[in-house]
Amino acid sequence: MVQISLPENSEIKKGKYFKDKTGSKNLRKVNIYRWDPSSGDKPRIDTYEVDMDNCPSKVLDILNKIKNEIDPTLAYRRSCAHGVCGSCAMNMAGKNGLACTTAHAEINGDIDIYPLPHLKVKKDLIGDLDGLYKQYQSIEPWLKSNSKSETKEIFQSKEDRAKLDGAYECIMCACCSTSCPSYWWNGDKYLGPAVLLQAYRWIVDSRDEERQARLKKVADELKLYRCHTIMNCTSACPKGLNPAKAIAEIKKMLATANI
Amino acid sequence: MENKRPLSPHIQIYKWHISSLVSISHRITGIINIIAITLICLWASLLFLAEENYETVELLMSSLIGKFIILGIIWSFSFQILSEIRHFIMDFGYGFELKTSRITGLIVIFGSIILTIVFYLIGKNFI
Repeated sequence: MVQISLPENSEIKKGKYFKDKTGSKNLRKVNIYRWDPSSGDKPRIDTYEVDMDNCPSKVLDILNKIKNEIDPTLAYRRSCAHGVCGSCAMNMAGKNGLACTTAHAEINGDIDIYPLPHLKVKKDLIGDLDGLYKQYQSIEPWLKSNSKSETKEIFQSKEDRAKLDGAYECIMCACCSTSCPSYWWNGDKYLGPAVLLQAYRWIVDSRDEERQARLKKVADELKLYRCHTIMNCTSACPKGLNPAKAIAEIKKMLATANI
Repeated sequence: MENKRPLSPHIQIYKWHISSLVSISHRITGIINIIAITLICLWASLLFLAEENYETVELLMSSLIGKFIILGIIWSFSFQILSEIRHFIMDFGYGFELKTSRITGLIVIFGSIILTIVFYLIGKNFI
């Protein structure tokens, strides 16, 4: 059954207010979801006044500034800061994205920052993605070839290689899967856009010889057909990919293939 | 430890956009349509049962609430038809670009209002 409301231990309280100490006139309020596993308290929203005169352009820069200058207890994942590693995926102004590629100038009003939706929170902005990684493992994301040509390079035509465009670029940041209402309600069984895009990537790879088995595996009422083309995934993807279309292509293959 | 972890907010904070709005409305209108069809069947069987029932239904339908229900049902069916066509096209693998899905979503929303007016006028003037 779909549970719309949050469980009792997840209800959000109002938190602390960090007043600006720099005396800057160019301030922005930043509301950040906080939860400390050691305290036993409910999650809260802390508000920070940030001096925008001395802050670079991205949301991640704001978080770094808060952590370095205002509140060192804030926890979040980040690494490359160039939209390549996918670590700093979070929900900003109601939309999932990478903090390092989202410009704060694009956000109107106060900046609300939450962890990726519908995940068990480990601390502050860090969500637990173990379930997603297990599902990723379940589609066996590696090349499977049974032929004798294993010792040699497997050739691929330019046309076949082009089929992987739009699928291989995925950085597994989980922005799409955690934006999907179907994944919120059925995340334990439904594979979600990120994993299905990767399933598609291996199904269409001309070098892979397990195409039929891969299709068969994914052909499941709950694993695949929970996608109702809501399109939250495509609109969230920070790399401009289209998981919704990939899922539709898998459905199409299943409808036309003889399995 | 594991159980104590809170669930991060989801539908409470996620921003709506055209495509997600159309998708949820598709479900809601689907449920409304099932109720509507049941009501229409009930109405038809009432007419079969007795002549006086016709007047009772007529009275109900010409009231303000009755008119609202009729318009609501017409809109619900109009929305469902257009949205179903949109999903049908998507099942063929078309219309997944963000811009296209936005435009088709808007067509469904505004089209359903126009269809409602058209159906209502046809019903009122010709039947």
